Amino acid sequence: MTTAMVWWGIVIYILIALFIAYLSRSGKQTNMGSYFLGDRKMGGIVSALSYSATTYSAFMLVGLAGLTYNGGVGALGFELIYLMGVSLVAFFGPRFWVVGKKYGYITPSEMLGDRYENRLVAVVVSITSCLFLIPYSAVQLSGVGYLLQGMTNNEISYTTGVVIATVVAIIFSYIAGIRSVAWTDSLQAIFMIITSTIVVLILVHSLGGFNEFFGTIETERPNHLTVPGNGFWSFVTFLGMTIPWFFFSLSNPQVSQRLYMPASLKSLRTMLMGFMIFGLIYTLVAVMWGFSAVVMFPNLEKADLATPMVLSSDAVPPILGVIVMVGIVAAAISTIDSILLTLSSLFARDVYGHFKKGSTDAMQLRVGKIVIPIIAVLAYLFAELELDLIAVLSVASSAGLLVVVPSIIGTFFWKRGTAAGVLTSVIVSGLIVIILELFKLKPLGLASGMWGITISTILFIGVSLITKAPEQKANEFIDVIRIELKKSK
Amino acid sequence: MKANEWKWALSILFIILLAYILPYTLLTDVAKWYGSFLIWLLLAILVIGINYFLTKDWK
Repeated sequence: MTTAMVWWGIVIYILIALFIAYLSRSGKQTNMGSYFLGDRKMGGIVSALSYSATTYSAFMLVGLAGLTYNGGVGALGFELIYLMGVSLVAFFGPRFWVVGKKYGYITPSEMLGDRYENRLVAVVVSITSCLFLIPYSAVQLSGVGYLLQGMTNNEISYTTGVVIATVVAIIFSYIAGIRSVAWTDSLQAIFMIITSTIVVLILVHSLGGFNEFFGTIETERPNHLTVPGNGFWSFVTFLGMTIPWFFFSLSNPQVSQRLYMPASLKSLRTMLMGFMIFGLIYTLVAVMWGFSAVVMFPNLEKADLATPMVLSSDAVPPILGVIVMVGIVAAAISTIDSILLTLSSLFARDVYGHFKKGSTDAMQLRVGKIVIPIIAVLAYLFAELELDLIAVLSVASSAGLLVVVPSIIGTFFWKRGTAAGVLTSVIVSGLIVIILELFKLKPLGLASGMWGITISTILFIGVSLITKAPEQKANEFIDVIRIELKKSK
Repeated sequence: MKANEWKWALSILFIILLAYILPYTLLTDVAKWYGSFLIWLLLAILVIGINYFLTKDWK
């Protein structure tokens, strides 16, 4: 694989994606609902592909393959339990969708603020999201930098990689808001699932076919087919990693905001089922990829090297290697651009909308558009600085966002929940997660996410019970869902 | 939640519990592709199937 091939791959990808983004423009994106939610008229297939591309970042073929390389089959269990957790969409999806339409919510935090009748709730939840997701995007950007640097022996520098990813993510968000993001996401998802499946089939074939492939692992690395196996996937580690991801579809606004977008419940269903099938295949591909690396290169120093080694090995034709590598870069970008768009909508709607009294929809949209490149540049700077704190916040992001989950569940299922309960649970347990991650503490051997969800649940329930609930709003909100769902089913 | 939603939710929860328990107990010494590898795939497919039926009436 030569540097020239890598450059060509990147240029061709960007040109095709720009063309798709340009075509995706339809109508005028002159209001928040249109720009950030595609007028709530997104089709099922595009929603499914875009949901997949947003969820599955560069982590899959680098991180998950690396986890498989290190600890074996536990990585499959970890990722599939996440996938099973997406069943939450089957219960929460229609409820988000109905109230989104009814009350015109743009962001999940706006919904919380309205339901608990306290706009500070919306402000605090959005700021929490930004706090964890900007560092998370920064780490995605660094991933692109390292990958390009590693694959081209430093001929494409780290900074060049990071700059390319930042600029492309801004452009994709800017051209037509969620529409250009969703369509370029779809392109990336289709491209990635096809090429990576081909690579894995080639790898398994070149290693002697399915039986011999597993036969080699059974004899050489039997531990890789069991848990706890070589000890990497101890039950406590497994629990600590799966719990935050189990609730990902609710806790992460860049995916929960998607629940407002489908044109109908039928489209929502297509989104859910399409994503689950995509996820199953892609997870299997990433894990088999990691297993191939175990067979081909059993003694690597760092698991992160597994993917670059496989891609540049003789078993994979160079052209295919370049295509998949560009695919991994695109996967990072498709995650970042969705996060950018969601965070800017959170800022414009919930933070700016709160402090600037009487701000109109058009003013919020203008602010949202200004904020997109600002957030991107912030993530870029974080990626360049490579600060320890940023890495900590990024690792903590799935655990940190988990603290909002009790309040989200309460929104739909617990009339006694109060704003004070939300604020206390989110702020206190969010801080606890950060402290635990910062000092690498694991009280009782449990990871930060486990503490985050436990403490926030206790605080949410406890504080709610001693404060006054917005009874009228809660009744109205839950009745609306019941009536509307009955109508549309 | 409606009665049939509860039924589905509990089925999914039960399968997820199996996904935590089986690989760490019964299958912890089965170092074959048909051990934890297969069981996790089957349980995931089962959950996807439940989602299919659960959302069947969405229009």
